[in-house]
Parts: sequence; structure tokens; C-alpha cells
Amino acid sequence: MVRVSSPPPRRRIWTRRKLVPYFLLAPALLTFAVFKAYPILDSLWISTTSGAGNATHSVGTANYQRLIHDPLFWQALRNTFEILIVQVPLMLALALLLALGVNSAYVRWRPIWRLGLFMPAVTGLVATGVMFGFLLNKDNGALNWLLNGVGLGKVDWLGSGSGARMAVVLVLTWHYTGYNAVIYLAGLQGVPRDLYEAAMVDGAGAVRRFRSVTVPALRPIILFTVVLSSIGTLQLFDEPFILTRGGPDNATLTVSMYLYENGFHYFDFGYASAIAYALTLLVVILGVAQMRLMGDREK
Amino acid sequence: MPDLTRRSLLRASGAGLFALAAGQTLSACSGDGGSTASSGGGAATGKITVWSWTTAAAALRGIVPAFQKDNPGITVEVQDVGNPAIWDKITVGLAAGGQGLADVLHIGCDYLPGYLEKFPGGLADLSALGADAHKDEFAKGLWPVVSGKDGHAYALPWEVNPLGFFYRKDMFDKAGIDPTGYQTWDDVLADAAKFKAANPGVYLIGIDKPAASSPDCDFLQSLMQLQGAFYFDLQGNITLGSAQSINALTVIKRLNDAGLVGDAAGDHGWSNLMKAGKLAVAPYPAWAVHYLETTFPDQSGKWRLTKPPAVTVGGKRSAIVNSTHLAVANSSPRKQAAWKFVEYALTKPASMNAMFGAGGVFPALTAAYSDPLYQKPDSFYGGQAPLQVFTGLLTDGADATNYSGDYARALQLASDAQVRVFLKGADPATELRKAATQLAQQTGRKIAS
Repeated sequence: MVRVSSPPPRRRIWTRRKLVPYFLLAPALLTFAVFKAYPILDSLWISTTSGAGNATHSVGTANYQRLIHDPLFWQALRNTFEILIVQVPLMLALALLLALGVNSAYVRWRPIWRLGLFMPAVTGLVATGVMFGFLLNKDNGALNWLLNGVGLGKVDWLGSGSGARMAVVLVLTWHYTGYNAVIYLAGLQGVPRDLYEAAMVDGAGAVRRFRSVTVPALRPIILFTVVLSSIGTLQLFDEPFILTRGGPDNATLTVSMYLYENGFHYFDFGYASAIAYALTLLVVILGVAQMRLMGDREK
Repeated sequence: MPDLTRRSLLRASGAGLFALAAGQTLSACSGDGGSTASSGGGAATGKITVWSWTTAAAALRGIVPAFQKDNPGITVEVQDVGNPAIWDKITVGLAAGGQGLADVLHIGCDYLPGYLEKFPGGLADLSALGADAHKDEFAKGLWPVVSGKDGHAYALPWEVNPLGFFYRKDMFDKAGIDPTGYQTWDDVLADAAKFKAANPGVYLIGIDKPAASSPDCDFLQSLMQLQGAFYFDLQGNITLGSAQSINALTVIKRLNDAGLVGDAAGDHGWSNLMKAGKLAVAPYPAWAVHYLETTFPDQSGKWRLTKPPAVTVGGKRSAIVNSTHLAVANSSPRKQAAWKFVEYALTKPASMNAMFGAGGVFPALTAAYSDPLYQKPDSFYGGQAPLQVFTGLLTDGADATNYSGDYARALQLASDAQVRVFLKGADPATELRKAATQLAQQTGRKIAS
């Protein structure tokens, strides 16, 4: 005989069952509320004020109106989009190529290649800045030496607007290509072998297999990297900050840098918060648009 | 794959919120501001902390033993916060209502007016503690810089930087030119061809033309200050597009067109040009005496110092290009003790000169100049007494400069204008007027008529 203990009263179970998840969630919710939700809402309020410290006063939507008429904000936005349009496709195409390369059975010492690919992503930004500062030096930088060697002439990387934008694209590509390649590599390894075998039986060549098997299988992952990279580029700050400080003549000023300048150089926290909200709006719009454009097609 | 799409969308909007991370930091910094308790209170004993940077911090540390001996009950800890880190730390501290600030703060003339305007009540009213008694003891033009709109002092001047004209005597000798005869920058330009012929590959001055590491407007500002002008007038109106500003940038453009400006782009651009012996003039203020000597020892005996040439015929030949100060945080629970330390450090010739000897911080206290130190010949300057040149320039007097609370914006816009002049050959008048309009739009300040 097995003694079965009588079940506890039903109501108590219900209360306990209902409360337990909340107890478990409480630390996360509380942390979120204090460190995320409150500051986000508070900065919305700050974006309707002007001044700083204890000298703030309400200005309604003046900061947003000012934003619309601020040529530097529009220039920052244009710079950011120019970098985005060139850099993201370039980087992702390169990442996909590299991922195919290090996934290929013909390549030896694959782990070493993979490690090498990922190394730039973990390099400290200050070190990156110093290194590229040397590489891109107009007079004695390695890159110009190389260009000169093949008869292309020197580029004033950091001293001209277009050069500086190219330099930022270059650093971003160097820094994040490996990161995206690793994501693609994981995706490639998830593509069932038999799909390739079936395609080969049907007589598909390497290019055809790539177009008809690899790309469709990777589509959700490509979408994921496009959206993440676009959002990352919209928030671009570190690379131009260490490399060009937004110059020359604001040619590499990004929206995030302009936000930082207004907040911490000019103490104009209200205006900086308005820029933060404008940036958020852009990020959401771009994210949704990309999802619509690329995500719907696969249904 | 609708599931993935939804998840990515959530991720996207999550990242959108992440874009507000900066906003969060901002909101964290916008606390309701400092205690507005009136100055004058606070304990007269206890431990006080001082924030400064590099050589200045070392200099302050040097006088601590003497101060503690004379003021039993007060202990002082000097912290080298570093520059520019100190500005972020003070800004964040003031924005948080004074929390976490040191008792004594070392603040430059470019930040002080901003702190006073944007964080009223953040710094202690030193007039209430007795600072006005020292009003006439500092170089002319400095008291307005430390005074708030209410006329009370919120800091005491420590370091003053009168403008000098350091030049390579060997290079000018080679060209048969004596720079001490220069009256205006026009005279310098008139000698351009002669100088270049005698010194191929050598420039007169070095400027970071694309402003690759930060705005490089020191020379532009010096030329404005020689005319008693700046980005703002004393009332805070915008003078960035004034005739004086245009004169200043025009001198720079003409120097550049004459091939006399070397490109000192990047963090080490200027010192690299100097090390290579490619610069013949350093239009720098008093801090450069010590700096040139210690940084380029192999050029010993080649440098000399004279008054800077005027911008216009008959114009002024002295200017205070910048200054730094010690202030007391209003949040300090030991304001009396902090003030005692500030007063001890900055109003006694002995302590000022001890600090000058230790850190090369040129004193604002005029009584300090009677020390024999200021007459001492220096072999780096070929036996000339460089400090004497500067004390002489300070007795000529200089105009007060109003950096205002919007200096950082003005500096950025002036730098952008200068970059366009350098890189695109733009017209100084057009660029500066455009910059002035933009500054008015950004700050709501009026353009001076």
C-alpha cells in the first residue's frame, strides 16, 4: 500500500502557482524598469526641455522643430545613410564569400582561418583607431604606399571628405565582416547535405547550387544580419569618433556623434534627447521596412 | 517563416530602444540639480579632495605638506583625474547635483562659464567666503572670467597664458630676417618668399588643417584676442562673423596661400613637424616655455621669444589666450576648508612659484613675478630670459575674453569654417558669417551688430 498524502487546498496551489513566476521575474522586471524603462521615458520628457542641470525649463516641441531646421542634423543623417548604403552590402557580401570559403572541404586548417576571421571583431576600438591611424596616414601610411606601388596615387584618407568616409567604411568592414561571416558559417552548417546531393544528381553546378540551395536556406539569416547591421550602422559612433572625430568639415559626423556632442560637449541634454528619439524612429522604420521587403517574399 | 520575422522585428524594435541608450545616460545626468544652499557654510576642518591633471596636479601636491602644517585639522588629497577626462567627470558630477564631485576643482576658462550658466549653484560663491579681497592681485582681464552674472567670484585664477612668438633664430638668421622687428603679420607675410628661399621645406607654423584629431583654432583665437575680440562679446552676443574675426582668418588664409602653414594633422602631427625641424615659429603662450624645452631638447639654443606681431597696424601686441582656475564645489561639506586651500595655493607668491617650478603653470598672481626666477636666463633660449618677456606682456594688459556657455559650439563652427578655408580655399568672410548665423540658430544668442 502506498500512502497518498492528501492534496493541499486547491486555492493555495493557485495562489502559489500564480505568484511563483512573478517572484522569479521580479529581479529582471525591476532592473528593466529602473535602468531601461524609466530612463527611456525620462529622456522623452527631457526632450521637451531646454537647458541643463537645475536650469531646465519646458519648451514643448521646440527641440523637434529645431531638429527639422538644423543643417548639421541633416548632414549627419545623410553621412550615416551614405555609409550604410555602401558599407552594409559590401560587408555582407564579403562575409558570405568568406563563410563559403572557410566552410569548404577543400580548405585546410579551417579552424585557424575561422579564428583569423573573427579576430578583428574582438580587437579593442582604441587599438583599432591607432592602427588605422598609422595605416591611413597620407604621407607614410602603409595603404598609400601600397596604392602608390600599383600606380594609383595617394589618397588623403583623413584629410578629405570622401577619403574620410571611405576610411570609415574600411574600418567598419574590417571590424565586422568576420562577425557576420561566423553567423553565416553557422547557417551554412545547418543546410542539409542531401539538398546539395539532390541538386548535384539533377546536374546543378556550383553557382546554381549556391543560388538555388545556399541562398534560399540562408535567407532568414541574411535578413537577420541585414537588419542588425543596418541598425548598428544607424547608431554608428565609435569608429568615426576615434578615427576622424566627425571631420573633416563634418563629412563623417554621424547622428549618434551629433547626439553625443550636443549632450556632453554642449550640455544641451534636451536637444540630444530629441535627436535620440528621432534616431529611434528611424531605426524602427528601417527595421520594419527591411522586414517587409525581404521577409515577406519567403512566405 | 513568420516566427522568425516576428522575433527579428522584436529584436529590431529592441535595438531601436537601444538607440536610446545615450538618452538614458542623458536622463541619468539630468537630476534636479545641485543643492542651492547658500555658500559660506561647510566645515573648516576634515579631509578635502582636489581634482586636477598631470603636471598641475603634481604641482598642487607639492604644496600640500606646507599647507597641512600651517592648517592643522585639514588633510588634502590631490587626484590626477587627467585631461580631458576631468571635464566629463565634472559635468556629470554637476548634473547629478554635485554628487561625487571633489571639494576643489581645477577648471579651464573654456569650461568655467559653461558650468556657471548651465549649472547655477553648482560651484560655491567664493565672494561669500572672502575672495573679493584678492580681486586686484591677478593679471588684468582675469577677474571677469571668474565672475558670474551676479558679479560674485566662483573661482580664483591660477594659471594665465599670455601669448608669445617663439621663433627659430637660426632659420631667420639664414634668411637675414630679424623677427623682433615685426610690427604686424603683414610684415611676416612680406618676408615669406625670402624665408622660404633660405629654408626650403620649412613652414612657419603648423596647424591641423583637416582638424583630424580635434578643432585646432588656438592660432585663430590668438589672432582674434590680439584685437580684443572673440567668438562672443562680453555681453554674450555672437561676434564670430565680426570684422576682427574675418581679419584673423584672413591672416591664416594668406599664410597658407604663401606656403607658410604646414599640415599638422592628427594627434602627433604638430610634434612630428617640430621634431623634424620643419617649423620656425610657435605662436604659443607661456606654457610653451617649459614644454618646448622638455619636448625638443635637441633644439636647445636655437629658439628665441618675442612679442607677437599685431593683426592690424598699430594694433595690440599682448593677449591672454587662456587661463585655468580653482573652484570649490557647492556640494562640498567642507567648503571653508576647501576655500582655505584654494586661497593658500593661489594668493601666496611663495606657493605659486613653488607650483610654477614644479609644473610649469604660469601664475596669474602678479606678486609672484618679483621672484628672481622670472629674470633667469635660459640656455634653451640662447641665454634669453623667456619668462621676463611674458611678465612684460602681462603688464601691458590684456582684454577679458568671454568664452560663454556656448564656447564648445562656437569652437566647432569656427573650426569647420577654418577647415573649409584650408581644404577648399573658401572665403573667410563668407564662411565666418555663415558660421555666426548657424551659431545664432543653435544657441538662440543674438549676433552683435
